Amino acid sequence: MFENLLPPLNNHNLPYPDTIHPIVVHFVIAMVLFGVVCDSIAYFTNNKKLFEVGWWNMVFATISIFVAIIFGQLEAGLATPYAAAAGDLNLHTLLGWSLSALLAAITGWRYIIRLKNPGAIPDAYLGMNAILTVIVLFQVYLGDKLVWVYGLHTEAVVEAAREGLLK
Amino acid sequence: MMLFSTLVLAEPILAAGANGLPYVVPIHPNLVHLTLGLFIVAIAFDIVAALYPLEKPIFKFLAIPATSSGLYDVGWFNMVAAAIVTFFTVAAGFYEIILADPPDDVVSPWGMNATDTMVWHGVGGVLLLALIVGMTIWRGFQRYLWREDRARQVDWSYLLAGLLIFALMFAQGTLGAHLGGDFGVHVTADRLIYSGVNPNEAIDMPLAKTMKDPRVVGSRDFGPGSGPEEVLAD
Repeated sequence: MFENLLPPLNNHNLPYPDTIHPIVVHFVIAMVLFGVVCDSIAYFTNNKKLFEVGWWNMVFATISIFVAIIFGQLEAGLATPYAAAAGDLNLHTLLGWSLSALLAAITGWRYIIRLKNPGAIPDAYLGMNAILTVIVLFQVYLGDKLVWVYGLHTEAVVEAAREGLLK
Repeated sequence: MMLFSTLVLAEPILAAGANGLPYVVPIHPNLVHLTLGLFIVAIAFDIVAALYPLEKPIFKFLAIPATSSGLYDVGWFNMVAAAIVTFFTVAAGFYEIILADPPDDVVSPWGMNATDTMVWHGVGGVLLLALIVGMTIWRGFQRYLWREDRARQVDWSYLLAGLLIFALMFAQGTLGAHLGGDFGVHVTADRLIYSGVNPNEAIDMPLAKTMKDPRVVGSRDFGPGSGPEEVLAD
């Protein structure tokens, strides 16, 4: 009943011209990394303005990650992953959902820290930021592999999959 | 060390050459995340800050303390970071253009071949770098000299210019998407397919190895071990 609501799939196996998930993740990757950088510099230099910049970047990242997951699930569902790609796609999915919970929790923590004292962050928060950064970078690496190594949603891979040559 | 070699070096076929680069995945698209994320959020926060009087009740309802000066700080520092990062984005982009070996028989949805797309993407990159640096300088003058004593730290024309640059970035990003998605530039699997090799056989990565002997979780008519490995016909 819903089949006709979306345009037919194109040669990227998408109902719209190009993948959207890699665009939305700009705002998760850049904002988490820059937020962590700002909070770290602020921590060591006691710069109150950078604490504010760190906090707002984390807020933006947290909102964005849920949008990223919606498009990520949609495009993963249409990705026709072949055997070599399936493992990394599963791991990227699992880690993506986990990151949404982790990021929301860290931003919630950041909110409480800022409410109590906008001009400082505890050491433990900085350590948590370091862990978050490592997980985000690994997640970026997995996403990179899905696009640039396995070529999911690229014309050549979609064509090979449709012809039954790549399973 | 084991983990490092698994993650970074992967398999020899990936470490050098299969994607036309001396490393596993292209660097330029990763720096693009930073350029676009930082620039767009910088402009977005300046717009939010400029409209702060309208949003006051919303921030109050959400119980989030917010000041317009704090929002402007995001607009300024994110813009500075975007300007710095973008030099590296453009540099990595040109390096990877030099090493590109695109197919010459494919036409993009915008009717261009790979070489034309790369040239326009390169020109667009230099243009956007200049615009981002220009916007940063403009923003700095407004923040510290011209509008230092004003409640609204940015001129409306600055915000309008930012929105126009969004449109340029959309075009530039679409050209970049064509390079990866349609021409398969530096995409390992696409290059293997062009040369008649099945990526399932060539991309022999550790995770893929474990996938060759998957746990049975239900009926499955595709995947490793379900049939003879095929080699793509040319």
